[in-house]
Amino acid sequence: MARTKGISRREFLRLTSMAGGALTFARFPQVSAPTAKRTLKKQAKTINVLVVGDPFQFALDKVLDQFTEKTGIGVNLENLSYDALQARLITSFVSQTPDADVVTVDQMWVSQYADNGWIIPLDDYAKADSDTQIDDFIPQVLHSLNTWRGHLWTLPIGAYGQGVIFRTDLLEAAGLPTPPKTPAEAGDWTWARYMEYINTLNGMTVGDKRMYGTVVCGAQPIPIVHMYTQLAASYGTRWFASFPEVNENGVWNFTPTINSEANKAALADYKKLYDASPPEAINYVWFDAGTRFSQADIGMFYWWTPYFYLVKNSGYMTGTPSEIIDKYDVGVLPTLEAGGQQVVSLGGWSLGIPRYSDNQDEAWQFVKWATGFEGQKAMALVPDYNYQFSDFGRLSLYQDPELQAIYPYLPAQLEIMRQGNGKIPRPPIPIYTSLEGVYGLQLNRVLSGEASPEEALATTEVLFNNILAGNQYVPNYLLESYDDTLENTIALMESLKA
Amino acid sequence: MRKRLPRQPLPYLMLAPSVIVLFSLIIYPMGFALVNSFYFWNLQTSPYPVQFIGLSNYQMVFQITPFMDSLRNTLILSIGGTFIEFWFGMGIALLLNSQLRGMTIARTILIMPTTVAPIVVGFLFRYMFYEGSGLFSWLLTGLGFAVPERGLLGSSHTALASIAVADIWEWTPFFAIVLYAGLLSVPEEIVDAARVDGASRVQMFWRIILPLIKPTAVIIIMIRFMQLFNMFDLVFVLTRGGPGTASRTLSYNLYYEGLVNYNIGLAAAMTWLIVVIVTIIINVYILIAFKDWEW
Repeated sequence: MARTKGISRREFLRLTSMAGGALTFARFPQVSAPTAKRTLKKQAKTINVLVVGDPFQFALDKVLDQFTEKTGIGVNLENLSYDALQARLITSFVSQTPDADVVTVDQMWVSQYADNGWIIPLDDYAKADSDTQIDDFIPQVLHSLNTWRGHLWTLPIGAYGQGVIFRTDLLEAAGLPTPPKTPAEAGDWTWARYMEYINTLNGMTVGDKRMYGTVVCGAQPIPIVHMYTQLAASYGTRWFASFPEVNENGVWNFTPTINSEANKAALADYKKLYDASPPEAINYVWFDAGTRFSQADIGMFYWWTPYFYLVKNSGYMTGTPSEIIDKYDVGVLPTLEAGGQQVVSLGGWSLGIPRYSDNQDEAWQFVKWATGFEGQKAMALVPDYNYQFSDFGRLSLYQDPELQAIYPYLPAQLEIMRQGNGKIPRPPIPIYTSLEGVYGLQLNRVLSGEASPEEALATTEVLFNNILAGNQYVPNYLLESYDDTLENTIALMESLKA
Repeated sequence: MRKRLPRQPLPYLMLAPSVIVLFSLIIYPMGFALVNSFYFWNLQTSPYPVQFIGLSNYQMVFQITPFMDSLRNTLILSIGGTFIEFWFGMGIALLLNSQLRGMTIARTILIMPTTVAPIVVGFLFRYMFYEGSGLFSWLLTGLGFAVPERGLLGSSHTALASIAVADIWEWTPFFAIVLYAGLLSVPEEIVDAARVDGASRVQMFWRIILPLIKPTAVIIIMIRFMQLFNMFDLVFVLTRGGPGTASRTLSYNLYYEGLVNYNIGLAAAMTWLIVVIVTIIINVYILIAFKDWEW
């Protein structure tokens, strides 16, 4: 009786085979669809692109279809944070795995990747394709971001300089003339004058809001080094005895010169700038400083050129217009002395092709398009977040009337880029990151009051010596040197014209 | 001899999986680190070890990294954090054991902070420590304490303590739950006997309850100490070791050399220094805490 009510073995087998069959058929369409997709992908190649989460990435993501439509090459774009990107790239390079076909490369990584053979030189590709239009690139940009030992390793997708951003309404209220937009107009636009502006603006009140004269980046190690080294370079600071140019013996000399009088003066002034900043700026990273300016209680500051457009938003990439959207303008950096030489810190992101990529030709097509006039203009025309991309490395884009209408500061930005040399304020040698780590820490100690500029720079020089000696850069640099001047980069560009 | 052979491989075969796991996950990486700690190998300059440099990496740990500052911070954080978490946890465990109303729901809520990922806790506390409108700044100001101008995370006097606060919030419940389990194992008749003998609550705690839950307590203290000694997540999210080196821990220092500077040789040397320090501390602790222990 119980048996007839229960399930027999035969019945069990019948039911399970039916269920299994039903599951198989139910899954069948799901299985077959990706197979069809895979076949399509095989016909039209797809490349993997690793990018860092920076403003250019948001714009690039929106225009990828245009590239695919033009070339038939699909793109898998993966966005990573700065640390994660570097870790991922190093891991894939060391394990020699083709993790990505195109990678974004910080200018400070180019020498490491090039010397270790992790990315391929682009000289032959650039020379073979006339549509690379190599002579359209601003030489100072290619020199700062993309060349190493006389070869072209990457092309710039987001090129940054540093300039002054100021509140027009506050300067007017204080009776201060607006800072110049070109070096020719600079006159007595010196750092001493800049400090006078900051001191005048500091403590002003607008409504019931107290104004800070400026805002600095204080977080260690990278953000503070990015901002401080601009001031230091303007004051004439050099990190080493001979780099990027060679000495009279034709070699690089990495004896540290960081503990110089020029640097001590610059650091003392940076501390004064911090004293006129919100106190919490000691922990500010890049976008904290920019966002603070958007909050409408900062008079003037200098920072990377992407902040020329980022400050239009109330927060980093929020798309919500900031209070000061119609109350700011930009200008060139001051010099140490009236009419003196300027060295603008150029930086940014570039695209390179890993040695272990299986799709190097397709990767080159992408690099060429994304850094070319067409791709860059498409990115700049993306209206999201109130138009958030004008970090061009090409002259033609700065001169484009349509782009000038959206980004009215482009002529001033071009002047900034032309004053640049990214290899002087932050020398991009392979062990730069190690030096930056100890330098940033000591700079931060000055802001926190733990050390005086003299103490901090003396310590930095000792640490630099230890690191350089430990990595066999001093007393004698054992590898080949290269006279890494702007003139040699211009000669390289000439040789790469198709 | 011949008769024995077939029986001999069996124990080895049975032990093989454990040995393989032990070797591949612990001994090989440690051995790899030890060997490379004597080589100049910086991925910034070469994908491979360049040359044997003896003890230079160990020397460089002290010359170019803030190792001693990091060690001091790590010891303050791990000893202070473990101490506070233990006593807070003990207090909560005694409350849970007091059979007051609502203890069941309290137990459920209590475990929640421990289940949150440390990185999320870090972001949560970053907002709570915010200078302007953060909860902690508001609370401290309300209670009449002066909040540093640079914020709790921006001042070298409060940065490390702020990290400790976040950690204490997250891990005190862990202590509470484990110690509560220990309290449940205390035989009721012993407590009753002490009560009949006229022991006060304080005497009962120090003379009876604490000795009885000591086995649980010493183990949990050791585990948490080692976890705190490896503190990284909260430091990374909250302060990145700053300002200056005020909140830099050994793990953050190690991360910086290994995964930011990619100086593999140096990071390997630092790893071994940390291993030696932890081993010494834990062995001293074992000698003291496990004295008279019946294994």
